Amino acid sequence: MEKLAENKIVEDLLPQKFGRQGQIWVVSLLAVCALGFYAYCRQLYYGLEVTALRDYASWGIYISNFVFFVAISLVGSLITAVLRLTDVHWSTPLTRIAEIIAVSAISFAGLIIIVDMGRPDRFYNLFTHGRLQSPIIWDVIVITTYLFISLLLLYFPLLPDLKIMIAFKERNGKWLQKLYEFLGSFWKNKPEQFKITDKAINILSITIIPVAFAIHTVTSWLFATTYRPGWDSTNFGAYFISGAFLVGAGGVLIAMYVFRTHYKLEKYITDDHFDKMGKVVVLLALVYLYFNINEFLVPAFKMKKSEEEHLMGLFTGEFSPIFWFAISASMLIPIFILVFKKGRKPKWAFFAGILVVVGSWFKRFLIVTPTLLHPFLPMHDVPKSYTTYIPTWEEWAIAGGSLAGALLVITFFARIFPIIPIHETIIETDSHEKA
Amino acid sequence: MRKHKLIQLLVLIILLVPNVLMAQAVEKNTLSLNLKYFNDNNITHHLLVQAKSKIDGKFQTIPNIPVQFYIGTETDKTNLLGNGVTNERGEAIIEIPATAKEAWLKSPNQNFVVVSSATKKFDEGKGDLAITKAKLKIDTAEGKMITAKIVALVDTVWKPIAAVDVVVGVKRLGGILNANETQTYPTDSATGGVIAEFKRDSIPGDLKGNIVIIATVVDNDKYGNLSSEMIVPWGKKSVYMTNFDHRTLFARRGYSPLWLELLAYTIVVAVWSIIFYLLVQIKIIKKLGVE
Repeated sequence: MEKLAENKIVEDLLPQKFGRQGQIWVVSLLAVCALGFYAYCRQLYYGLEVTALRDYASWGIYISNFVFFVAISLVGSLITAVLRLTDVHWSTPLTRIAEIIAVSAISFAGLIIIVDMGRPDRFYNLFTHGRLQSPIIWDVIVITTYLFISLLLLYFPLLPDLKIMIAFKERNGKWLQKLYEFLGSFWKNKPEQFKITDKAINILSITIIPVAFAIHTVTSWLFATTYRPGWDSTNFGAYFISGAFLVGAGGVLIAMYVFRTHYKLEKYITDDHFDKMGKVVVLLALVYLYFNINEFLVPAFKMKKSEEEHLMGLFTGEFSPIFWFAISASMLIPIFILVFKKGRKPKWAFFAGILVVVGSWFKRFLIVTPTLLHPFLPMHDVPKSYTTYIPTWEEWAIAGGSLAGALLVITFFARIFPIIPIHETIIETDSHEKA
Repeated sequence: MRKHKLIQLLVLIILLVPNVLMAQAVEKNTLSLNLKYFNDNNITHHLLVQAKSKIDGKFQTIPNIPVQFYIGTETDKTNLLGNGVTNERGEAIIEIPATAKEAWLKSPNQNFVVVSSATKKFDEGKGDLAITKAKLKIDTAEGKMITAKIVALVDTVWKPIAAVDVVVGVKRLGGILNANETQTYPTDSATGGVIAEFKRDSIPGDLKGNIVIIATVVDNDKYGNLSSEMIVPWGKKSVYMTNFDHRTLFARRGYSPLWLELLAYTIVVAVWSIIFYLLVQIKIIKKLGVE
């Protein structure tokens, strides 16, 4: 009986070939990536002139995208580490989803920074001329560290699953079989191996939390260590981390729904998972809302002359449609949806997740660009185009291409590896039945 | 047909008349050239001209005016000292060249002339200046006293000059700081000299405490502008202060504070040690699987 149940779990959770929908999805993503690559080639050839980045708005949607990627990557530490260490078992099927989101997002965060540099060879200067005092150097160090830890956290729990997959030689095909064997042919389900793996996962879960906090705190310091309206805040680290956890959790809600419906995983990603994840999102949205109130209400109450133009630009000025959309979409509406039990049903939760992620992207844009367009000293003797920022098609294509690239990594990962840990699911099912 | 030709002729006349009238209406402004003479430390001499014109009821400096400087008269072209063009402040400067030595030595009094040719906007201009050759000498006396003396050439003899206002001070930040509270000193009739007490003890000098004291006569009707300088060790010694090689948060690469380096490298080494430890664990797992 147990063997039958185990076989069923393995059968359900093994990676599946792309169906028609999957193929269309992959082709669409590849097309967006190709367009982004073409736009990037134009940027390399003509220089940053093809962008709308100028003296004042020197950071645009590339850096917004970077902050967004760093933010969403934090979900790996939330689901895998925080919930694991607090002995929350319902998140087990979601750990791999969270980790692959983290890995793909952090990889593209690094790439988009190189895109923003204009000339990629200048990245080399960071190693020859970088200063340890600069938050940019800390960011490079911490992003690299977080990527390695996330990869290890993805790899260790995958080892027992690799053994299971290697057994399906005919189904895998030659190429995948070789990959599985390269990655995990040495795994023999020995108790000593499990002991080492469990210990490693625990070490990683503990290590990843401060590193994850560091990555987003350092990213926030890129802004907060400069004296500009909207960035001159001592609260930025906490504000960024709370926002990052929210967007990451929103991303997991979307991924849960997509994998559940596409791979027919209703038995493994249940309504209960949506219910619990929905509650987590409500909590995180409330925390982020609290930090937003702090971040905007206090300066607005004082309304210093230098901050006034920036704040009024957000509240009632040229950025107000995006500002109120971002606040509503990333916090208010998702809270309103998910606070009700019906709202935590898969479809509504998926919708709330989309709102959170889209709203959060625009929130990052609002953190980056309006501040640059409202410097303390008035803009003087510059062309009119320098006083506004409307991204060019090249910028949109490159930013879109990077987002599509991140989704492509997740898609291919789900095609190659089980998106829900098979071995852990079997163990938990066994322990449930015994209980 | 004839009527048409008449109309064409009428239109042509109507179109041309305003142009002709406008062409006659162009009026040129009068250019005023103000010439000044400078004796710099009794070594070099230079002339400065400032071009001005009254435009819209106000005197304005005029740039880009080509001017010629002459010693004596402008009628003899061999007296030409040189050419210049006025800058954005309307000024042109020329150093009196060594080639003018013969003309310079002819007389104790000297005339200078500056002329400019007519341009589209301005009439031709002319300015002249007559000076008596004079020297201003600076020296020091005991007790941090600055002395200055003016002598002028009378026939072939240098004689002291009385009742000329002299400014005595220290060259500082592109200007002159008076040696004490007194703005100017008139030279006395007996020696042609002035004495000023130096009261700027705390003034910063160079590394050795050197400062430049100066005596100057400004825009004197007869002698022009005279100045004489001298270096004295009366200033406060400057200590070269720099934190370029110090370890600070704002220093260059490789000069970060030690506490920051210690903190940052400890964290990096600690975290990466864990990563390496885990990579070693993978190796052990692999070994266990092969056994």
